Amino acid sequence: MLTMRESINIENLSKYYNSFLALENLSLKVKMNEDVALVGPNGAGKSTAIKILCGLIYPSSGTAYINGINVVEERERALANVGAIVETPEFYPFLTPNETLSYLGRLRGMGGPDLSSRIKEVLHLVKLDEWAGVRIEKFSRGMKQRLALAQALLHNPTILILDEPTLGLDPRGLVEMREILKKARKDKTVLFASHMLAEVVQVCDKIALIDHGHLLVYDSIPHLRKKYHKSLEGVYLKLTEGAI
Amino acid sequence: MNSEFEKLKIVSRYELLKQFRRKRFYGAVIITILAQILAIVLYKGLNLPGALTDLARRIDPSTTINDTSKLFAWFITSLGLTLPILFSVFFAGDSIASEFENKTGYLLFPNPVKRRTIVIGKYIACFIATTVVLIIAYVVSVTALLGFYRQLPFETWGALGLSIVLASSVLSLAFLFSSLLKGGMGATIGTLLTYLLIFPIVSGSLSTSGHQPWFMLNYAGNSVTSIYGIKIPGLGGEMGAGPTPDLTVSLFVMLAYFVFPFLLSIWITKRREMI
Repeated sequence: MLTMRESINIENLSKYYNSFLALENLSLKVKMNEDVALVGPNGAGKSTAIKILCGLIYPSSGTAYINGINVVEERERALANVGAIVETPEFYPFLTPNETLSYLGRLRGMGGPDLSSRIKEVLHLVKLDEWAGVRIEKFSRGMKQRLALAQALLHNPTILILDEPTLGLDPRGLVEMREILKKARKDKTVLFASHMLAEVVQVCDKIALIDHGHLLVYDSIPHLRKKYHKSLEGVYLKLTEGAI
Repeated sequence: MNSEFEKLKIVSRYELLKQFRRKRFYGAVIITILAQILAIVLYKGLNLPGALTDLARRIDPSTTINDTSKLFAWFITSLGLTLPILFSVFFAGDSIASEFENKTGYLLFPNPVKRRTIVIGKYIACFIATTVVLIIAYVVSVTALLGFYRQLPFETWGALGLSIVLASSVLSLAFLFSSLLKGGMGATIGTLLTYLLIFPIVSGSLSTSGHQPWFMLNYAGNSVTSIYGIKIPGLGGEMGAGPTPDLTVSLFVMLAYFVFPFLLSIWITKRREMI
């Protein structure tokens, strides 16, 4: 049964890519304002789950709800309050960050001076304010990753779904991104897919560890450490033993 | 939250901005203008009416082809108004495929906008870009006509109208390929091969076997030039003595090629997964 306290509710989600089973009956509930890390080895099914949540792919069975709205059946309505970074998104090279954010903001019903000031705000937050009028074709991967975060935060969503948001960043970028995420997560529900445990510990309170499309464990980080008498890395290695 | 119509306007506006920022748009404009100038120079420099008269007299010695505004319009239209239609394929070929190929779909699709709206918006942008090139070609034609003959045949307007309808059909075909194929280049080549090679082979085979290929897009598209009603004995192709496409039938055929591939491209894009 759904309650509005659950921002994200994944129910028995399975996904086949032809004969390959990427997700198998995955169920996960993320409560409002919880910050949950979706961790697991490469190919565990993290990106598949995120893509289903963002309406980019369809589940083979099961369903997912965002704020109580079925993503599969009412994709647009379910995504209205979601900011997302999926994989390393590419941008339209002929547009500038200002134009890109203006495009995406308008699609979300923003406009006028509010949109302009919000664009300035998020570009300042990700330290791209000096690049606001430069075409994105000149941007490095790290700059694109920052811009991806800016677009995810643009409409001040209540839910952030982030798939490897620090991928491709240099050490400075990594630290800055982490700080931005720490600030941005206030009053937001965050689902953060990553395989970088050091990142996860600093941004999230809970961990959902998946492997081969199965949910292995879903608990708070302190509780997991206590339960297994190990560091988070130790817990991860123990639970994913044998994983390739 | 915006209505889907508002979102459509936004998608069209930014897609058009993308089209106008691309070098290929300006390349299409420059090549179209140069092709029009070349057609004018060839017509006047080679004394085309005289050459056509010589050709026609081999079949009918009493024939004389006069240098009229209509003949001039027919000649420059055949190149000037069909070239932009081919360029439209370059505008549209990667419209949908690039969202998947270049991964920009990861940015656009998680927004609360229907895929249908995105496809229609992209189509409108490509259509406007193509129409702009067509109108530029038309302006060059009209300027030359008024400069040389001080008159504008009524059929020139019809040729422009039919060109726009033909462009919308070719765009639909390109959108269908773009929704089906993984890459923009493949979609562009696929559309060009279909329109320039496969359709003419089918039409030619049907014509040779005595069947009028009225339902083929390339045959219906010949109405852009056959609207002038010019028949030249001895000249091959549609301007020769053979059958010419019926204007009304051609218009409906082109509209059908606009509607069905376009609807199919929307349906495919809605179901296509961003893996």
